[in-house]
Amino acid sequence: MGVSGPEPTDESLAARAAAGDESAFEAIVSRYQARVFRLAWRLTANGGDAADAMQEAFLQAYRGLGSFRGESRFSTWLYRIATNAALMQRRARSRRPAESLEAFLPCFDANGLHAATPAELQAAAHVEERLDRRRLAEKAHAAIGRLPETYREAFVLRDLEEMTTAQVAEVLGLEPAAVRQRVHRARLMLRGYLGALAEVKP
Amino acid sequence: MSDVSCASGVELLMDYLEGVLPTETAAALEAHVAGCPRCEAFVASYRETPRIVREATAATLPAELEQSLMAFLRARRR
Repeated sequence: MGVSGPEPTDESLAARAAAGDESAFEAIVSRYQARVFRLAWRLTANGGDAADAMQEAFLQAYRGLGSFRGESRFSTWLYRIATNAALMQRRARSRRPAESLEAFLPCFDANGLHAATPAELQAAAHVEERLDRRRLAEKAHAAIGRLPETYREAFVLRDLEEMTTAQVAEVLGLEPAAVRQRVHRARLMLRGYLGALAEVKP
Repeated sequence: MSDVSCASGVELLMDYLEGVLPTETAAALEAHVAGCPRCEAFVASYRETPRIVREATAATLPAELEQSLMAFLRARRR
């Protein structure tokens, strides 16, 4: 923390770091490491992979500082690097393909009416009352890992890292409408999944 | 004036919550949801889902990882 004056902006730190100021780069790392780690954990669903992805992301950022032109915000640029590092890390594990969450999409009858009852449809909102925190955390990480990758990255950035749709579109190189579509599909799947977790069979 | 069903309404929710639906479509969706207990329940759980997953997955960076990250980066920059 500076002893006087406002905190330097990301962009000014990046410019100093690109010019060889090591302390400026370390200030960037300090500022972003917790967020990059959290993002990587959400994208990899694994603490060890998240740590490796975080290291890789900052190393790539360091090596790429000279190519950061300030056309986007520094945070957007860094999130793009971190997202790619996390997805590469996960792919490198050659896991079995994750079991799809398609089964948790909402169902409708022939007239387009919800097939489930209001109580069933609302169940997801009560999952925190039904599962303890640790179990819910495990289930939530695992469920994110079962989303198709394109939905997962959009959902994690938009809804979990709470970026705006416009920022996510910039990070992922998509139109905002495509981001909304992907986030929506992810929300539908996860909503159904949480609902199934919450349901207490009589 | 378009009629909204539960199924078509679900597909409008994201755009509705982001404020990018045309006014008339948004009004038709609101009218349907107001008269449909199933959609009301669905919307409630749809809106809660991001917060629940966000809070459930809010990992903190362990202190030892913070130190090993800095050491890793210092070693690579020499």
